[in-house]
Parts: sequence; C-alpha cells; structure tokens
Amino acid sequence: MAEEFLMVKDLHKSFNEFKAVNGVSFSIEKGEIFGLLGPNGAGKTTTIRMLSTVLEADSGDITVGGYSVKREAEAVRSIIGVCPQDIALYEDLSAIDNMVFFGRMAGLNGKDAREQAMTNLKLMGLVERAKGKVAKFSGGMKRRINLAIALMGNPLLLFLDEPTVGIDPQSRNHIYENILGLQKKGMSILYTTHYMEEADRLCNRVAIMDGGQIITLDTPYNLKSQIGSPEEVTLEDVFLKLTGRSLRD
Amino acid sequence: MKRALFITLNEIRLYLQDKGDLAFGLLLPVVTFALMYGAFGGHTLFEATARIVNEDRGAYSTQLIEQLDAVEGIDIEILTAADADARLERSDLLLVLYIPAGFSDELVSGGKAELIFKQRGNGGQEGQILASIIRGVAGEMNQEFQVHNQVKSNLGGTGIPEDRIDISVQKYLEEERQQPVVGVVEEVVGGSPDFINLYLPGIVTMYVLFALTINARAIVEERKRGTLERLLTTRLSVGELFFGKFMASVTRGFVQTLILLCLSYAVFQLFTPLSFLAALVICLIFAAAASALGMIIASIARSEDGAVWIAVVFTMIMVMLGGTFFQVSEGSILETIGKFSISTYANDALRTVVAEGGSLGDTVWKLVVLAGICVVGLGISRLIFKVIPGGK
Repeated sequence: MAEEFLMVKDLHKSFNEFKAVNGVSFSIEKGEIFGLLGPNGAGKTTTIRMLSTVLEADSGDITVGGYSVKREAEAVRSIIGVCPQDIALYEDLSAIDNMVFFGRMAGLNGKDAREQAMTNLKLMGLVERAKGKVAKFSGGMKRRINLAIALMGNPLLLFLDEPTVGIDPQSRNHIYENILGLQKKGMSILYTTHYMEEADRLCNRVAIMDGGQIITLDTPYNLKSQIGSPEEVTLEDVFLKLTGRSLRD
Repeated sequence: MKRALFITLNEIRLYLQDKGDLAFGLLLPVVTFALMYGAFGGHTLFEATARIVNEDRGAYSTQLIEQLDAVEGIDIEILTAADADARLERSDLLLVLYIPAGFSDELVSGGKAELIFKQRGNGGQEGQILASIIRGVAGEMNQEFQVHNQVKSNLGGTGIPEDRIDISVQKYLEEERQQPVVGVVEEVVGGSPDFINLYLPGIVTMYVLFALTINARAIVEERKRGTLERLLTTRLSVGELFFGKFMASVTRGFVQTLILLCLSYAVFQLFTPLSFLAALVICLIFAAAASALGMIIASIARSEDGAVWIAVVFTMIMVMLGGTFFQVSEGSILETIGKFSISTYANDALRTVVAEGGSLGDTVWKLVVLAGICVVGLGISRLIFKVIPGGK
C-alpha cells in the first residue's frame, strides 16, 4: 500500500452562515499529483488555505507528512510549498531577489538560498533573466517565477492553485513538464485548475468539489468510464454532468 | 528572529526601490531643513521698515529721519497722518512714529520735544524692535543736542563766534559717532537659535509621524500583492513578520530624523556632542513608539486608502496636541488632552535636551512613557491581527 503523505478527515469551515467546506475527506499519496477540481465557490481555495496553515479549520483533522496542521503548524510549513492562484511577488525586486528572500523565509541559509534560486530559475527557463525586475516580466514569466518560489526549500508537498491561468501554451507546457519532473523526484502535489484537459493529463487522481463537499474522487480514467467510453468522453463532460451547467458566481 | 531581520531588510530594499516613498522620506527632511535655514538661518541682520508721519518738517525731524535711515537694515517710509491712521485702523500697520508739528522749534527753544508712537496692541515683535531702535537714535540725538547746548553755554562770552562753536561741536560728535568710546561688535556664530529651538523638535517628531503613514500600509500592501498569504505559509511566524515590519519603520523614521538632526548640528550648531547623542536616543525611542502605533493601524486597515487616511488623521491629531505648530498653554484643557499624544512626550524631551540644555536623565519618564507605548502598541497590533477577518 502506498504511503499517504496528506490526510484530510471531515474538514469543516464556515464563514458566518455560509458553509464553505462541509465534511471534506481525502488523502494524497507520496509522489502523487492529486487534482482538486470544482466550479467557482466550490471550496477549493478555502480547503487549500486550511491545508497550508493559513486558515484554521472549524473542525476536522489534517496531517501533512505525519505532522498535525493544528498542533504542529510550523513543522508542516517547513515541508510544504504554496503557489497561490494570484501572482504573489515583489514586482520591484529582481527574480533572484524574490527567490532568495522566500528561500530565507523557508529556512535556507544565504548560500543555499542563492544556489536553489539559480537551480529553480534554470528549471523554469529564466536563468538569463535572474537579475531582471519582475515588474518588467511577461505574465507567463511571472507565473513561472510564482511556481519557482514555491519550490524554494525543497518542499515535500506542493500546493498549486491554478498555476497556469492566463498564460500562453508554451509557458503552460513548460510548467506541465516541470510538474511531472517534480513528481518523478517524489514530490506530492495538490493541483487545482479549471482546465479539465490539464487535470486529465497531469493528475493521478481527481476529486470534484461542489457546495463545499467532494462529490466524486477517482482516477480521470475511472471518472470518464462512469459516463461513457474513456476514449470518447472528456473529464469536462464528467465535470459538467456532476456539477451542472448553471452559471456560478 | 533572523527571519524578522530579513523582513526588515526586504522592506528597506522595497522602500529604496520606490522613488516616490524615497523622495518623500529622505529628501523632504532636507528640503524642510533648507526652508528652515532660509527662514531662520540665512539672515542674521534685523530688517524692517519704519513708517513715519513727519508733521514737523523742521531741521531736527529731518536729522532724526536721516539718522534712522542710516541704521543698517532699516528702511524709511514717510506717510501722511491720514494714511497712517487708516492703515493702523485696519491693522495693515502695527506701529507708526509720529513726529508732531513744532518738534524742531521746541528743541531750538530749549523746550521739551516729544515723539509719539501709535500702535496696535504691543506693536508686534518687529514694531517693538523698531521702537527700541528709534528710542536709541532719539536718545543719541538728545545727548548730542545737550552737549551742543552745554558747550555753547560754557563758551558764551569768550569771544568765539557761535558758528565756529557749532562746527567744532558737530565735528567732535561726528568723530564720536564714527569711533565711539564704547563700541559694540556683532559676532555671528550661527543662525537664529530661538526659532530653531522652538520649531526643530516639532518638525523632527512630525517626520517620524509621517513615517507612521508608510508603516500603516505595511500589511495591506503585502495582502494586496498576495505576498502576505505566501509569507504565512513559510516558516515565518506572524510575530516575526510584525517585528520585521516594525523594525523597518523604526529605521525609516530614525534615518529621517538623523538627517534633520545632523544638518541642525552642522549648520545651526544647536548641539553639543552629548546633547546630539541624547536627541538621537529620544528620536529612536519616539520612532519605535510611532511605529508600534503604525502597526496597530496596519493590522486594522483593510485597504491602502483606509490605512493612509487613518494614519493621516492620527498624525495630525498627535501633531496638534503635541504643540508642534503652536505652544500649548500650561494648565489648559489642551495640555491635559495633549498628554494622550505621543508627540507631546517627544517634543518635551527634545526641547529639554535641545533648548534647555538638559540631559537624557531629565527626560527619563517621558522616554519610559514612549517605550511603554511601543511595547503595548506592538502587543495590541498582534492581538488585533489575530482576531480580524483574514488575520492569523
């Protein structure tokens, strides 16, 4: 049996009367890419915020690498990396300065932070622009830096919240390759996206959330099999069948 | 704590990248100082215009006016009585010298001549100085006139022609004016310290409070660019984040005051080395207290505009109550309310050291109050951030 690196049990979170997350349970194995899909307002980002220690859950248990998020938050933070949905960079600083700064925040010393920053910039194809001001980068380059920062400190679990939004196919493809490369190195990844073909291509398993709950969880192949021939139907068909076609805010 | 230091360094680096903030923070103290120097330090000579109504038009009133005109820095403006009265009436002028008709004749006949000052209130600071100068010149004329009459009276009946006596006396008096027995030498050793003593503490504390405005945006800016959430998923604790931001603000505020104090030291020679160090210590503790209050605003504010407005209103209240722009009367209600302003303690401490020649020991309790505000402010800001939505 594969080793479970992240375990979530009966997670709840409400904002006033609104139940954003309502009894979510799942686990991610070591070296697995796990897709968390759902329409807007389904509770994906709230779930990620709780898993990454930013938000406190109302109830439920989360353990990451054997550490409890509630009781050992600092230990959890030392083994996770987060690539937020929005680009979160210091635009007035250079790429390398951003990376070194977050490396230091991740607990690296100056030398290691600099070395890792260069390695990750190389990985993202941005080593030539290391000293360039982020403000002058294109959207795709900023996305890649955003992801590269999440890798600082060599995390064991990576949260990627829609890392490919609004970028060109070349940058997106580059990011896919990197994510698959990280998986090969044994990194566990929780991935959210609105691009179903992306989830189909990258994720070992996928959970579809709606109304704060997980409504289905399986491999993309098995999910597609539930409504037809996996070669003919797409994950988007499954998604729309389960979450409906009505527009969400 | 190491990570708090990285936050501080990062904050300073970002500050140096932002040309607007940099100009506001570092160049403005220099500009303010230049203005102060222009206003209080550049001119050491008193300059004013004496308004005179000459209703006499005789020899001695003319001599008086000429002698006044010869005083360095004094200009003369001759007015009609009607014009002078009207301008005094509407407070356009605060002091006018009236030389009444018959002034010269009275002097010649050996009577008692009078000069009249008409003034509004006390005549204003400039008017008082002018009146004093006019009294001096009139007194000098009076003495010369008496000497002249005495010599004439003593030499009367000796056969020496009167015009020769007049010429000789005038010659000796002129020599005396050129080379007085008791000379007064003016030696300028710096700008006018009274004005600087009065205003420098207020200006220094005001700049520290301006730094508070920048600090108030500290958390909102991180939130806006998304880096706050990112930082909260690293090993950095919220306490370290707050302390790092606080230290950056203290550094900024202190550097601004350092510029002002150094220039004051170099140009106005306001300090001894010891009082300069004491002023630096006061500024450092005040910057810490102001930064801690800035952190409270930072933890409350939900938008950049909100943060800036709260900080500006807060700063203006502190500055007003602290007696930066005007002296707060002792025993007044304002003085009691002013005890709630951190500027009051900083201004008082700086005045003690800069203007009154006091030592750091004389300001201890004020510094203790400021240090206490700093510690309590930091604690409150951390508590607020724990309970507000989106906080941690």
